[in-house]
Amino acid sequence: MSPTIHVQQLSKTYKVPEREGGFSAAVRGFFKRKYKEVKAVQRVDFKIEQGEIVGFLGPNGAGKTTTLKMLSGLLHPSNGNASVLGFTPWELKPDYLRSMTLVMGQRNRLSWDIPAADSFLLHQAIYRIPDNEYKQTYKELDELLELEPLMKKPVRNLSLGERMKCEIAAGLLHRPKVLFLDEPTIGLDITGQARIREFLREYNKRTGATILLTSHYMADVTALCERIIIIHHGQLKYDGGISDLSKKIAPFKLIGVMLAESNSHDLSKYGELVQNEEDWEKQYIQVKAEDVTRVTSRLLADLPIHDITIADPPIEDVIEQAFNS
Amino acid sequence: MQTLKLLSAFFKMNVQMSLAYRADTVVNILLNLMWLGWELLSLNIIFSNTETLGGWGLGELIALLGVFRLVNTLMIALIWPNTEKFNQSIRDGSMDYTILQPVNSMFLVTFSRITVWRFWDLILAVVLIVVGVNMSTATTTPLQILTFILLAITGMIIIYSLWIVLIALTFWFVKFDNNVTILQALLDAGRYPATVYPVWLRIIVTFIIPIAVATTIPLQALRGELEMTQILTFILVSIVSFFLASRIWRAGLKQYSGASS
Repeated sequence: MSPTIHVQQLSKTYKVPEREGGFSAAVRGFFKRKYKEVKAVQRVDFKIEQGEIVGFLGPNGAGKTTTLKMLSGLLHPSNGNASVLGFTPWELKPDYLRSMTLVMGQRNRLSWDIPAADSFLLHQAIYRIPDNEYKQTYKELDELLELEPLMKKPVRNLSLGERMKCEIAAGLLHRPKVLFLDEPTIGLDITGQARIREFLREYNKRTGATILLTSHYMADVTALCERIIIIHHGQLKYDGGISDLSKKIAPFKLIGVMLAESNSHDLSKYGELVQNEEDWEKQYIQVKAEDVTRVTSRLLADLPIHDITIADPPIEDVIEQAFNS
Repeated sequence: MQTLKLLSAFFKMNVQMSLAYRADTVVNILLNLMWLGWELLSLNIIFSNTETLGGWGLGELIALLGVFRLVNTLMIALIWPNTEKFNQSIRDGSMDYTILQPVNSMFLVTFSRITVWRFWDLILAVVLIVVGVNMSTATTTPLQILTFILLAITGMIIIYSLWIVLIALTFWFVKFDNNVTILQALLDAGRYPATVYPVWLRIIVTFIIPIAVATTIPLQALRGELEMTQILTFILVSIVSFFLASRIWRAGLKQYSGASS
């Protein structure tokens, strides 16, 4: 049997307008636009079999969304080929559109002012879902996501997590066989993320749907995907089991140090200094996993430590590091 | 059948959206009632003072006004709200979801928003047309009435096509909020019979700007002023313009999918 998703040498190059900052540059740019070519995706190959859940990872701007958009049919590739369920996505055949879904965590499909139930009914009309099938699917989704209490409120009155549940449900009403999920858990709190994750796993088990998802949260990926695909600068860097990757990248840990006095001590002799924009109070150093105990005890012995943390580096940094080195 | 089902789903949803905010709904109803009163009043003023305009009789003028109002309703109830939504969806990216629905995207973009309060404008327009046509029945034959209706529909199709072209340009320019303003400006030129304009302007109004096609031409058919070949030409023009518009729309979609990220 041919794979559900088959991507061959897929490439996408954008032309992006570019100009210097400043007033005169803006005026000049009005008359003469300069364009820069951006190679968003370059010669990517992979195959995904029916029923797989694959995590699609890479730092911001790596080409994940572009790839998902090509696979869902929104973008024409500059080069290469892709087939999903035997269709060429960008031909936008109605039969294809009825058998897949694209859910983007940062975009809204539901109408803001009316309850989700009303938008669902419009969806039913657009996808021509017979009444009994619609009721059945809705019942199943409600069972998994507990939609019923959310259905009567206008979407604008829902919390982000509640809205995301409805958005995902809306994307699944037509029982798609392939799910492209772009950051489905973005902005959600830990519980919210866990619920969506649990739902996706259960949905995959029940329906045998193929799922390709991108996420910034490593937990999403480790909980759901046995296989991950990593792209960086538009190129495929890794395609394989998640456990193999962690072997490759596990050697690193991040130690965060908050000193009791000033930050005048030089930490670079203990390990490589890294930036962490979310936490200015601490300085972070990166060390190999096997050195963590040694370095930590040295730090504690040498310096007036107020607080110290040891953590896995964020997924984006890990990927960046694993492939830049 | 499927199209009708979808249209009724859109209509229902738009009623629901219109009713979402209570104060807004009340204000809208009041505003539209006032509007309607004002329109009827101004009609009364026009017709109590004028018998003919540019050689057209009262009945024909009323029918012309009806057709004009029909086009205007099309503008306000369909074209304005859908364009607004469309322009926004291009910029915020929700266009992506529209494209991925298994329904013709042109249909989705042009019919998903309906200003339901304008429903009685439609009724008023039809009433005006019926009254106008009735008043001029002394001089008209059933065939003329039939071609009148046919050409009114062709005219609508031409306006619709022009609108599609204008909004499809947004795919290339990303921000082109003036798209409907242009259409409105063109449309306003069609408010009076094309014969009241000087010849050079008339040529522009009839041929360069096809809006007059939607208002004056059907009326000329009603007066029996058109030859069979002219009638067929207009029908052909509407078919061609619709065809071209959908081609441009498709090219625009392709452009959009080539450029967005």
